[in-house]
Amino acid sequence: MALSNEELATLEADHTVDGIGEVCPHTLNIALKALKKAKPGEIVVEITDHSIATKTIPAAVKMNKIAEVLGIVSEKGEYKIFLKKL
Amino acid sequence: MFFILDMFILAGIFGFLYGFLLQKADFCFTASLRDWISVRDSRIGKGVLVLIATAMIGWGIVLTLGLATVGEVWSMPIGFSNLIGGVLFGIGMTIAGSCASGALYRAGMGYIQFWIVIASMMIGNLLFALVYDPWASDYVMEPLQLAEGGFTLFQLNLPFLLIPLVIVALMLFIAFRQFGWSGVWQGAKDSLQDFKGNPFTKSHWDIRFVAVLLGIIATIQFVVMSSISITGPETRIAGVLLSFVFGDDFVYQNTYLNGMFADFPTIGLGPEETLVIFMIVGAFVSAILSKSFRIRKPKLARMPYAVGGGLLMGISSRMAPGCNIANVIPGIGGLSISSLIVVIGMAVGVFIATAYIFKMPLLLFQKMDFDDSGS
Repeated sequence: MALSNEELATLEADHTVDGIGEVCPHTLNIALKALKKAKPGEIVVEITDHSIATKTIPAAVKMNKIAEVLGIVSEKGEYKIFLKKL
Repeated sequence: MFFILDMFILAGIFGFLYGFLLQKADFCFTASLRDWISVRDSRIGKGVLVLIATAMIGWGIVLTLGLATVGEVWSMPIGFSNLIGGVLFGIGMTIAGSCASGALYRAGMGYIQFWIVIASMMIGNLLFALVYDPWASDYVMEPLQLAEGGFTLFQLNLPFLLIPLVIVALMLFIAFRQFGWSGVWQGAKDSLQDFKGNPFTKSHWDIRFVAVLLGIIATIQFVVMSSISITGPETRIAGVLLSFVFGDDFVYQNTYLNGMFADFPTIGLGPEETLVIFMIVGAFVSAILSKSFRIRKPKLARMPYAVGGGLLMGISSRMAPGCNIANVIPGIGGLSISSLIVVIGMAVGVFIATAYIFKMPLLLFQKMDFDDSGS
């Protein structure tokens, strides 16, 4: 279920992690750590400027059925990745 | 290779195309192995396999048509240095956060961290050269060497296209078994979906599609110019910078650096160095078009990783020799045994760094224990 940018903007994150300045594998590790803390159904948002994280994090959570990817908002090289813990 | 203007222009075009395409697909060789081992994400790994398949077929066609000879295929002396160099390079690129090509395209995207990685790699190149002459040549590199020359399977008395076709057929067989006809067909269709609308402003192109293009361009480069390499030219760029400080004689008196400039009329930048520099330019243009460019400041706490990983990559790429690009495209594409050993070493190195340095989950081998285990 991918949401539109407007819908994503109205979402309230239960956990926000700041990955600005981080590269792999830290960008993935902090997302996994936050998802571990989150309860099922809660929303985890990672803010990152590492472009490949917009591919690797969604792939990792989908492949291992950790979370649902609600969508990604990108603006000028900065990305917000919205995840909902399963 | 000739040092004429045409060759420099050609090199600039090749470099631009590589940088542009690598950025468009976010083609990270480190992630291809690390993310597969750690979280079973095989997307980039599939891209690397498509690249290898394309290069093998490309090299096979070129040799069959007589556009190049077997003697021109890049293969290095076989020995333990291939394995050790590969393992150290694998560890280095995982620590640094990118491989040799990844650092270049990300430098073009505005990552300060990867400019530091490139600088550290070049210092590593020089450190190797300064240790090679007078010590490492006799006491380290020679004892590790098993054979004087390199060997490529193209030297076997077989039709040139036979081995590439058998390997690619095997890859396709596995793909069809795993995904079925419809799955493979869907994958091929999906790989082209980024081409609706204006593809140049899109931030991402499918990695399998880009891999085919990279393989074709590298094959053309092999015919008209040289085998693509990154760390060799970077060593020469570092050598040129060294000559500014200590003079040309200092560079010529070092056996290793002397060898690197053996075919050069002087200590300066040649076409291959131009190609490497234009990879950064190509990635920069690609990132600007898709509005992905940004001056990305790194976390200060990660700088030891960038410097340490870069130094390790610089030293090990001279030892192996070659980086991920040279060993994967003209190396494995050219069926070279030394490159196969280097790439196996790199995979081992990535595993070591992923498991023991970053202590990431290893979901390829373990069942997920996500709720209880620390990661």
